[in-house]
Amino acid sequence: MMDELYLFAVLAGTRVAVDAAEVEAVVRLTDISPVPGMGAHVAGLSALRSRVLTVIDVAALIHGRPMPAEARRLAIIANISGHSYGFLVDSVLDICRMAEGPAPLRGQLDNAWAPHARAIVENEGQPWLLVSLAAFIEGGALAQAA
Amino acid sequence: MDELLQEFISETQETLEALAGEVVAWEADPADSDRLDAIFRFFHTVKGSCGFLNLPRFERLSHAAEDVLSEIRAGKRKADPATVSAVLGVMDRIGELAEAVAVGAALPSENDDFLIAALTAQEEDAPAEDAESAAPVAVARQASAQSGPRTIRLPLTLIDQLMNGVSDMVLARNELSRKLRERSADPELDNVFERLSTCVADMRDIISKTRMQRVERLFAAIPRMVRDLGRDLGKRIELTLEGGDVEMDREMVEMVVDPLTHIVRNSIDHGIETPQARRAAGKPEAGSLRLEARQSGNQIVIAIADDGAGIDTGRLVDKAIAAGRLTPDAAARMTEQEKLDLIFHAGVSTASRVTAISGRGVGMDVVRANIERIGGVIALDNAPGRGLCITLRVPLTLTIIPGLIIRAGGQHFAIPRAAVVEILHDNNDMLQVSEVGGAKIASIRSVRHSMIDLEHVLGLEKPEQSGPRAVMVVRSATGVPFAMGVSAVDNHEELVIRPASPLVMASGLYAGMTLPDNGKPMLLLDAAGLANAANLSNVEDDRATRAQESAAQENGAEMVPALRFEELSGERRLLKLSLIERVEDVDTSLFGRSGGQAFVRLDGRLVPVANGLWQFDRPSVAALRLRDDRREACYPVAAVLDIVEMPAVPDMVAMHGMLSGVAVVDGEHLEVINPFALFAALPEEADMGRARGRCVLADAEDGWTREILAPLLRQAGHDVVMGLPVDGPVEPDDIVLCGGADAAQAAEVMGCRVVQLRASPRPVGPRDGSIYRYDQAALMAAIAGGRR
Repeated sequence: MMDELYLFAVLAGTRVAVDAAEVEAVVRLTDISPVPGMGAHVAGLSALRSRVLTVIDVAALIHGRPMPAEARRLAIIANISGHSYGFLVDSVLDICRMAEGPAPLRGQLDNAWAPHARAIVENEGQPWLLVSLAAFIEGGALAQAA
Repeated sequence: MDELLQEFISETQETLEALAGEVVAWEADPADSDRLDAIFRFFHTVKGSCGFLNLPRFERLSHAAEDVLSEIRAGKRKADPATVSAVLGVMDRIGELAEAVAVGAALPSENDDFLIAALTAQEEDAPAEDAESAAPVAVARQASAQSGPRTIRLPLTLIDQLMNGVSDMVLARNELSRKLRERSADPELDNVFERLSTCVADMRDIISKTRMQRVERLFAAIPRMVRDLGRDLGKRIELTLEGGDVEMDREMVEMVVDPLTHIVRNSIDHGIETPQARRAAGKPEAGSLRLEARQSGNQIVIAIADDGAGIDTGRLVDKAIAAGRLTPDAAARMTEQEKLDLIFHAGVSTASRVTAISGRGVGMDVVRANIERIGGVIALDNAPGRGLCITLRVPLTLTIIPGLIIRAGGQHFAIPRAAVVEILHDNNDMLQVSEVGGAKIASIRSVRHSMIDLEHVLGLEKPEQSGPRAVMVVRSATGVPFAMGVSAVDNHEELVIRPASPLVMASGLYAGMTLPDNGKPMLLLDAAGLANAANLSNVEDDRATRAQESAAQENGAEMVPALRFEELSGERRLLKLSLIERVEDVDTSLFGRSGGQAFVRLDGRLVPVANGLWQFDRPSVAALRLRDDRREACYPVAAVLDIVEMPAVPDMVAMHGMLSGVAVVDGEHLEVINPFALFAALPEEADMGRARGRCVLADAEDGWTREILAPLLRQAGHDVVMGLPVDGPVEPDDIVLCGGADAAQAAEVMGCRVVQLRASPRPVGPRDGSIYRYDQAALMAAIAGGRR
């Protein structure tokens, strides 16, 4: 499990690392059509060529504060059980290979993040929370929707 | 190595799926060595491959199974139910192991020894299980050709990518077409584009065929399930599967699996009785369960029929009353079909006890909801004591449905057209919206509907708008129709529907999504979901109709819908609604008169005016377009008032002119137009210049026919066709004139009328129906008579 590739991004104001195997692409979204009747964590639908992405506002999912509309630009695209999702991120910094791999969580994690973080990845001397995109959908978003 | 493993796993899983049915069939007929061979081959292959791939657990299991099977092949051992169960157990374990290897999880660590022991330990107690407990399931599968066309295996993702690629191409083509339209026309460019366009369309059709899958896949798991359930419940079932080669959309197959499984479980658990009960009822001990799939137009019909006990509607009613969903009073009025429909209501089940198999409260309501979500219909044919047949009709493909595009809260949504009963504007006189305690009620032609605003249900802002809002009456097949207010209904389109992500589906409001040409995703509304979200009452308001029905019964009078309108002369009259094709405003300049008869020019045809009016004091009038089975007429009126129920026989019968009497509606005396007199007063059709049947002259080469008969007919105003049309159609009102009896017969075969002519003045015999060719009066009468 060593020597894995990670995407480093800022998600809902927090430094996170995402296993690159989960990431299909990072795109700039042009237009998001809202899905009324859903919680704020579903930002809407967006077309990526002929695919339709369900855009997830992770900030709303974690902190309950939706991202301001003008900041909804960048999204990580992932395919989770056959459906395409876009996860809104603040910024994407780097993709690199980490020799050490994940380290166990240390310290008291914010309650909001606790269900989503699995471990810590060290990069350039700083800790990054390792999160799983699929878990956002399966654990968090669907539970809220139900 | 990895690839080899992958290949092995997917092949094993696929073979397992296909084999489950075979094992059950083999149990029913242990002498069937073909099936035994197929199963043996499977274990043999697995054993061989896993030795090579170093999967020791697979190897041990398959080895043990292979040993037992080879003993059976050699006749040393009998294929009794216990052995078959053990073989199935081993197959299941291999499936689990394969699954575990595929996802890279740790192999489940249950002891395989137990399974292997079950396989071998049978030998001692095998004789104990005698013929009495013979195979519970007999499978008759329609023989299908084993060697199909050449195929290759492709990963699904590749096909999906291909699909997406083609969709991209279609979108790009649409944009290009839009751009081309903006420019000045260039025929050469248009031609090339047209060709490209056709290619893209063909391509899309072909690609969508890759989505098709044989229904066999849907049936694959059934025999095993039926066998296991039958054993658990001590019932004997004869299973018949038919139509496995019918193809349907892959996604559709996925959507139908659960409902179908549920129905089959229900049927075995509640439908088919125990052998003892069946014997007592005089039925064969083994119950029959029959699954049949067939294609009918653009639908797939799946019928599940059993010869069990059927549904006890009396018990359904009792349950519904006990659950407070029905009053005894209402139950007494219900028809048998309505009672049967209760099974689709949540929380109603005929199961007297909750079993592990069914009757857990997740019942037919869920089945129906699932079928309807994909645009399907479910129907029951119940014969109490003799069986139940459930028919599922689902569209061939999920992908394309006719839909309406509606606007609400500044957003566009789609709704299946099938769900929409009627669309009105809220300034229509027929619609009244009243509010009580926050609830909105829409009365349309005195039927009350719950009224919701789409914006309200979806939590959207309701923007101010200048024009009237649209109110649509929406019906999901599960619920009661309700009225839904939206900003506007924009368009009617064929929509390519794709499934929305589970996250969006979980809201229960949407049935899917679509990506229109403008590239902005649009959501497809789920009518039943909307009603649920708005907490609309599901209590049918049948009082209005019941009251009318009972009132009508008391008076002994049948009521029919009629249009109340105001004549140009000011009287208010009624006309039976079924005669009115539509109402439209007609420019008065189109009216005219010739030969004492008033006409109006409509759609390029002259249509007679029923009340003879042709001069008006206004630029346009409302006109009722009437039609009997053949003819149409126009009836200009001053104003259309509303639709009311009137007695089929007027309260006071007074036939004179175009009136048949007077009816009292809402305390108002109204004259009723007599439709018979109205159409009878219309001028003869022949003078109307309308299309009429032609005279087909069969003997086109005959000089007399050509030189004498044809001119005569033309002078008389008939259309003449020389010779029987070779490939063109002979219309039913064409008349064929001919000399010989054989031509007469040929023409009769084509189903049109024949007039046979003879050259001699006298008939050949008493049964000769022909006409002397110079008897002009008889000839003309025969032709005219043919027209009726």
